Amino acid sequence: MSTDSPAVDNCLKCSVCVSYCPVAKVTNKYSGPKQHGPDLERFRLENAKTVDPSVAYCSNCKNCDVACPSGVNASSMITRAKGALVARHGAPLRDRLLSRVELLGKVCGLVPGLFNKAGKIKAFRTAAERLFGISRGMPFPLYAKRTFQRLYKGHKPINSKRRVVYYPGCYVTYNAPEVGLALIEVLEKNGVEVIVDQFACCGLPMIANGLLKEAKQKARQNMQKLQAYLDRDLQIVTSCPSCNLTLRHEYHELFTLDPESALRDRVMDVFEYLQMLAEQGELDTEFSKMPLKIGYHQPCHLQAGGFGVPSIPILRLIPGLEVIDLDSGCCGGSGTYAFKQEKYAISQEIGAEIIHAVQELQVNQVLTECGMCKLQIEHVTGTGVCHPIQLVCQAYVSAPDCD
Amino acid sequence: MIERKFDVIVIGAGLSGLMAAAKAAEQGNRVMVVAKGMGTVGLSSGCVDFWGFELEQPRKVCSYPLQELEKVISTNPGHPFVRVRDVISESIEFFREICEEEGNPYTSNSGGNWLLPTAMGTLRPTFLAPASMAVPSLSEPDKILVANFKELKDFYPRMMINNLRGNGEVKVSSEFTAVTLSVSEGELTTNALAHLLEQQQIRNRVVEQLKPQVSQGSIVLFPPVLGERRNTKVAWDLAAGMGCRVYEVANIPPALPGQRLQKTLLHHLKAQGVEIAMNAEVTGAHVFGNRCKNITVVGTGQARRFSAEVYVLATGSFLGGGLEAEPGRIGEKIFQLPVQGTLETWSSKEFLNREGHPFSRFGIAVNDFLQPVGEDKRVLIENLLVTGANIAGCNYPIEKCGNGVALVTGYKAGKLVKEVGQ
Repeated sequence: MSTDSPAVDNCLKCSVCVSYCPVAKVTNKYSGPKQHGPDLERFRLENAKTVDPSVAYCSNCKNCDVACPSGVNASSMITRAKGALVARHGAPLRDRLLSRVELLGKVCGLVPGLFNKAGKIKAFRTAAERLFGISRGMPFPLYAKRTFQRLYKGHKPINSKRRVVYYPGCYVTYNAPEVGLALIEVLEKNGVEVIVDQFACCGLPMIANGLLKEAKQKARQNMQKLQAYLDRDLQIVTSCPSCNLTLRHEYHELFTLDPESALRDRVMDVFEYLQMLAEQGELDTEFSKMPLKIGYHQPCHLQAGGFGVPSIPILRLIPGLEVIDLDSGCCGGSGTYAFKQEKYAISQEIGAEIIHAVQELQVNQVLTECGMCKLQIEHVTGTGVCHPIQLVCQAYVSAPDCD
Repeated sequence: MIERKFDVIVIGAGLSGLMAAAKAAEQGNRVMVVAKGMGTVGLSSGCVDFWGFELEQPRKVCSYPLQELEKVISTNPGHPFVRVRDVISESIEFFREICEEEGNPYTSNSGGNWLLPTAMGTLRPTFLAPASMAVPSLSEPDKILVANFKELKDFYPRMMINNLRGNGEVKVSSEFTAVTLSVSEGELTTNALAHLLEQQQIRNRVVEQLKPQVSQGSIVLFPPVLGERRNTKVAWDLAAGMGCRVYEVANIPPALPGQRLQKTLLHHLKAQGVEIAMNAEVTGAHVFGNRCKNITVVGTGQARRFSAEVYVLATGSFLGGGLEAEPGRIGEKIFQLPVQGTLETWSSKEFLNREGHPFSRFGIAVNDFLQPVGEDKRVLIENLLVTGANIAGCNYPIEKCGNGVALVTGYKAGKLVKEVGQ
C-alpha cells in the first residue's frame, strides 16, 4: 500500500472492491469503495472540498484494501475524505461521544453497575436514540467492575529474559479484563514476562468517525509512551486486531508518526508470538482435552493485517477441540457503526450471514479476537463468544470460563 | 523478524493457487496461501474453459475439448497443457468433487463443450459450467424469456435477444420475450442484487412477476446475479417456483458465478485447515543455490519471513500482478525468473485481433514437474512450482483455456509437492 497519489491511477476499475464491500451489498446509501476511494479521490485532489457526505456510511472494515489486486489503498483515501468532511462541517455530538471509548470507559467504569443497568432500560435507550441518534437496538458493551490494570495490580509478574509489553486496548481495559488476564496467564505459563502499563486509546474509533485530529493526538501519546519500550528492544503484544492494525498501519500511513517503521515492526498479535514460540519448540503444549465444537469468526481487521489467522494453528494443538471457520465475512458490528441509528439496520443485515453460518454449522459457541465482533455476534445469534486466548488459557487447566 | 514454517506455501489465491493448495492439503501437508488481492477467479465468468475452437478450423467450436487437447499436445510443444498432460482427467475429477461437496456443482456437456449465452447475445464455448449456467441447448425451448432487473445496470435484454436471434444455434420459431422485473428501489450493484435474491420474499416477487409469462418448456435467462452464497440454491428455488428452467448468462465482472467459485474453493480450503493470509504481499525470496529458503511477506507494512519445503508461484500474469512490464523489459516480480517469449512485438495493432496478442503467451518456461527452467532447460529453483497464467505459451483469450490451464497446473503442483520437496 502506497501513500502517494499515483495509487489513484493503479485502479483498473475492476470493481472487485465493491463486490467485497459489506456495506454496498446491503444498502444503496453507499455507492462503494471504488467510487468513494479512487474515483472521487480524483476530484478531491483537485478540490479538497468535494467530499460526498455519504462517505460516512463506510464502516472502515478494509475489505476493499484486502480485495484489491492492484495495491490501491481505497480505505485510506476514504478515511482521509471522512476527515476532510469532519474538518469542514464538524462531527455530530453522537459521533464525538461514541468514539471517545476511553473516556466512556473511565466514566462508566466509575459506576459500572449503574451504567450496565441503564443500558438495558428501554426508555433510556429510546431517549438516547431520539436525542442523539444512538440506536436503541444495539446492546452496549458491559463495563467491568474493575479495570484490567486494577485487577492486575495484585499480580506478581514472573521474571524472565523473555519479556513483552502488552497493549490491552480499551475493550480489555474497561470491558473484558478477563481477556487480558488470560493472556498474561498463557504467556507466563510459557515463561514470558508481561509488562502491563496504562496506554491511551489507539484512536481507531475516532479515525473511523473522521476525527483525525483527535486520533492523531492519541497516537502521539501512545508513540511517546511506547518509544521507551522500543528503545529497550521489546515486542509489543496485542490481543485486539483493530488496535494492532491501528498501531501498525494507521500511525504510519495516516499520521506518518512512525516514519522509520520502528513501531510497526515491533507490534504483534499474541498468537503470532505463541506461533513463534511453537516454531522454536518452546511452546508448552500440555493442553488438557477439550471435546468441543466451536465456530471461529475472523475479524475484518485481522484479515487486513495480512498475517493470516495465527490463532487457529495454536487452537488445533488442543486435543479434542474442533474449530470451524464460520467463513461468513464481516459481522457488521464495525465498532461504533452499529450504534448509529441510521446504520443499525445496515449492520444487522450484514450480520445476517453470521446467523446463517452459526445455524448451518450448529455451533453453540464462537471464538473471535475482536471485542466489537463479539458484541455483534452475541447480539445477532445469541451464541456465547470468547477470545481464543481465553480458550487456550482454559486448556492449560485453571482459567476463567468463557464469558 | 517474525518467522513461520509450513510444508507448502502457495503464493496467489486465483484458481491455480487454490487448486494447488487443495491438492497439497489433501495429502496432509501444512499449507499456507499468501495473497495480495482476492485473485482473478472472482473476476472470471465462473466457467472453466479447456479448449474453444478446432485447431484446423479456428472458427468452428470444438465439440470435444479433451480430444482437441491431445492434438494441441502433439502439435504445440510450448503449450502448458503439454506439461500436465498426465493429470488432466484426474484434476477435473478432483475439482468437480470439491465443487459438488460445497454445493456448487460443475458439469460438462456430456464430455463436450457447452455453448452458453452471454449478455451480448453471443454464444461462448466452455467445458465446465456451474449448474446455474449450464443451458443445455438453445435450439430446444419454444419460448426464451430474458429477465432483467430495473435496478441493475449493464444488462440489456433487447440487445441480447437481437443478437441471439441471428444465431444459427437458436431455433427460428423460438419466441423471445424481454421482461423487466423490479425488486427494490433506485439502483443496485450486482452484489447488492445477489444479496437481496437470497431472501425468499424477494424471490417470491420475482416468481410473481415472471410466472404469468412462462409456459411449459420455456426457459428464463437471468443476468449472473442469482445469489451471493456459494451454492446455486437461488436458481433452483426460482426454477421450482415458476415450473421452468432458469439460468444465468455470462456477463462482464463483477459477476456472481466467478465469485461463487472463489468462495467454494476458499471454503473448502478453510475446512481442510489451510491457513490463508490475505492482504499479504510477497516482496522477495531468499534463494540459496537452486533452492528457495524463505520468502518475505509484507502484510500491512510489517515484514515476516515464511519458509516451506515447497513454494507454488500462482501470482498470475499482468492482470493478476505476477508479471510486470516496463519499456523494454518484462519481469517476474518475486523470484526474478526469466520471462519467456518477450519478442520485439508485444501486442497486435488491432485490439480484437483474431490471433490475439503476443503478450498473452509471455510467461515462465517450466518442465514436466512445473519447475521453472532456463533456456538450457536447467531447473532454476528446484523447490518452486509454477502454475496458471505464470506459465508461458498459452494464448488463453483466443484458445479459451485460461481457467482450464489454471485448474490442471494448480492440481499438478499440489500433487507434486512431496516429490519435489525432498
